[in-house]
Amino acid sequence: MQTNEIMRAENVTMRFGGFTALNDVSVSFPVGQLTAIIGPNGAGKSTLFNVLSGAFPPSEGRIIFEGTDITGTPQHAFAHKGIAKSFQITNVFPELSALENVRIAIQAMESQFDIWTPRNKLKEMVERANELLELVGLNKHRERLASNLAHGEQRALEIALALACNPRLLLLDEPTAGMSPEETVVMMDLITHLASERTVILVEHKMKLVMGISNHLIVLHHGEFLAEGTPDEIRTNDEVRRVYLGQGDH
Amino acid sequence: MSDIPMSNGDDTQVSGRKLAGLAKSVARHRVVAVLAFLFVFPLIIPYEALAVNILIFGLFAMGFNMVFGYMGVLSFGHAAFFGIGSYATGIAMVHFGIPWLPAIIIGVVAAGVIAMIMGGMAIRSRGIYFAMVTLALAQCVYYLVYQMSDWSGGEDGLTGVGAGDINLGFVQFSLFDPTAKYYFMFVFVAIAIFFFSRILNSPFGAVLEAIRENENRAQACGYNVLLTKWYAFVISGLFCGLAGALNALHLSVVPIESLHYHLSGQAVMMSLLGGMGTFFGPFVGAMAFLLLEDIITTMTTHWPLFLGIIFIIFVLFFPKGIWGSVLHWVKR
Amino acid sequence: MNITIELLALQVFTGLALGSVFVLLGIGLSLIFGLLTVVNFAHGAFYMLGAYVGVFLIGLTGNFWLTLALVPVVVGSIGLGVERFLVRPLYGRGIDYPLLLTFGLGLVIVEVVRIIYGLDGVPFSTPKELSGATDLGFGYFPTYRLFIIGITAVIVTGLWLFIEKTSFGLVIRSGARDPEIVRVLGIDISRVWLIVFALGTGVAGLAGVLSAPMRSVIPDMGTTVLVEAFVVTVVGGMGSLIGAVVAGLLVGMVVAVTSLVAPELADLSMFVLMALVLLVRPQGLFGKKGLMG
Repeated sequence: MQTNEIMRAENVTMRFGGFTALNDVSVSFPVGQLTAIIGPNGAGKSTLFNVLSGAFPPSEGRIIFEGTDITGTPQHAFAHKGIAKSFQITNVFPELSALENVRIAIQAMESQFDIWTPRNKLKEMVERANELLELVGLNKHRERLASNLAHGEQRALEIALALACNPRLLLLDEPTAGMSPEETVVMMDLITHLASERTVILVEHKMKLVMGISNHLIVLHHGEFLAEGTPDEIRTNDEVRRVYLGQGDH
Repeated sequence: MSDIPMSNGDDTQVSGRKLAGLAKSVARHRVVAVLAFLFVFPLIIPYEALAVNILIFGLFAMGFNMVFGYMGVLSFGHAAFFGIGSYATGIAMVHFGIPWLPAIIIGVVAAGVIAMIMGGMAIRSRGIYFAMVTLALAQCVYYLVYQMSDWSGGEDGLTGVGAGDINLGFVQFSLFDPTAKYYFMFVFVAIAIFFFSRILNSPFGAVLEAIRENENRAQACGYNVLLTKWYAFVISGLFCGLAGALNALHLSVVPIESLHYHLSGQAVMMSLLGGMGTFFGPFVGAMAFLLLEDIITTMTTHWPLFLGIIFIIFVLFFPKGIWGSVLHWVKR
Repeated sequence: MNITIELLALQVFTGLALGSVFVLLGIGLSLIFGLLTVVNFAHGAFYMLGAYVGVFLIGLTGNFWLTLALVPVVVGSIGLGVERFLVRPLYGRGIDYPLLLTFGLGLVIVEVVRIIYGLDGVPFSTPKELSGATDLGFGYFPTYRLFIIGITAVIVTGLWLFIEKTSFGLVIRSGARDPEIVRVLGIDISRVWLIVFALGTGVAGLAGVLSAPMRSVIPDMGTTVLVEAFVVTVVGGMGSLIGAVVAGLLVGMVVAVTSLVAPELADLSMFVLMALVLLVRPQGLFGKKGLMG
């Protein structure tokens, strides 16, 4: 076991009925770095993401976080462990304001079952929510209903929600999905900034995007581990090129 | 506006519209507003029995609305809480001679216990499956109580639940006096409304809305959604149990229909008709429902037909309900 | 009371007959849920409608077999109209709305029947060919109930073939309202919705007319049946047809045997079964975990 790893998947296999999405995948994620999980469509990236982020436990294998086995931990416990995620399809609270969206995410860490204190007394949470909104560039939209935000703004809100629990590990599933080129640049800058403060694991299928910002890459193919290394190593890896050239470059 | 995070916050400029300003002011002081309205209510309604009904069923619908309107979970088993509240209070008074105040508390607690058990069994059923499971579980309670006819009176219901004269020391009145009965019930309902508003405005209330808006996201943020749903179910059961307890005193009998799923359906209909997820909606809905019933039953015996058609029309075209539509129109 | 093996065996058959009706109800409910994600709260009303349409057709034709064939067609056609004009507009909205609509619809259907036929029951006699009892070896058993067991088996087999062997069936098997799968197969998805709803309500109507000689035909007969149908689907697993079959028969037998051994508990026995399933396997015996949400 490497002491500078934050998370590790050990012999993870995931089956859905008769279909094996992940087959005996063992990967390690270094702490403090930005690791991207890449691979052609159908490689199992999203499934691995879901297993790592706690959406469901693997059919076989273990997930180790900071040295502790967290396999089978229920989803709601992940945020409290310091692991946060953003979803591939935007998953915010539609009919709440952007501010309330983030405030509620922050509240999850502090108070779930208080039935007495009026919400407007929770000033620190609102302040912190405002800070996060500013970080992702949404402070002028704080009163807007999340459903009324533009797509790129909603993706930014996703990130803010993930940051609310002050995670040591941030898992992002295709954060730039559906974004315009301008929005993508803004998002990538934000992610790079976030990666300087915490460990980030990113799932992306747009190769060009991740090559520029990742420290470490993990390549999956047909649900199996194919290769890992720095962007340069992966770029020159024959197997990877064969797999990707067959699919066309993004 | 930002220090009271209202779930309907948006930055539409509604300048100068007195109506909008009034509505917002009313919403901010919603407890006072609804209590003031209910206080003068008997003066508007032709006869007190109807007013008491609206009070009691408004409370019932309000309790139900916590789970349905605010948390977004459809239960078809809330008659169990109303009915057990009624029966527990009635049995305490009739079979054990317990005075009215402890009897009401017993009713509320009993309803809470039933909610804990039912909730524990049903809570892992997700989505609309939950509606089916809660209906079946509540109907089980119906059959149980029906069978225990020595205690419950079976098909004929529990009779003789009379408090008669209430002696509070500083004031004395008889529950046979309709006006006195209304204000007696009003005290309980007022306290309940205060607590209800407080709970909705608390961090817990915010979690309910988060679950309604996006359960998966709430989970990913770190909320124990299953446990929260269970708590909400139990709290809701307590309010509905109080409504049932009051109903026992109001009617002096507990009819077996208090446990039947038709009553659960009534809670659903009142909530939708009035406006789900709004504070005043349940009372508006109870009022609309009971007034309509009162009027239409004088003209025909086929009230359920009209009710069904009206409900279908609302489901198709006015899902926000009366009050919800008013709020929506006012916010434009 | 002396409970002999013969008595028990007869009661098992009673359970099978009772269970057969449950199977038909459960199948209809599961079909509609499996494809449309709609819990049909009017299912009991359609069952009752089937009995009354049966009464009407028997009065008209005097022929039981013709009535039996026509009732599901009539009730299914009503179901068709309901899906097309009342339920379909609600698919885009939250998952609760179609359910709520069917609930209101149930009230309307029951009241319409009350208006036409009044509150008192209507007689429906067992057809002559099927009346009387058959000797099963260990005792005599009402022939009509044997008929119910038999015809349910036929219908279940027919449905199974339809679902396993046709392209419509393929769509039903692949589950939820996903237009993509269906477009690939070249089928108009809205037609499948129509057919499934018609099928589900038609089978409920059939269950109603089959039950008519055994239970009293009153407008309220659907009220308890709805609960029974729900219990069966909770036990079997929502959206699972084999679950409906197994659970229907299981519930029928549990109720029948309990009414022999401990009659006061007969009504409650199915709920005890349901409670056990909820505690041990909340998705039902054949249900998929996390399917609904």
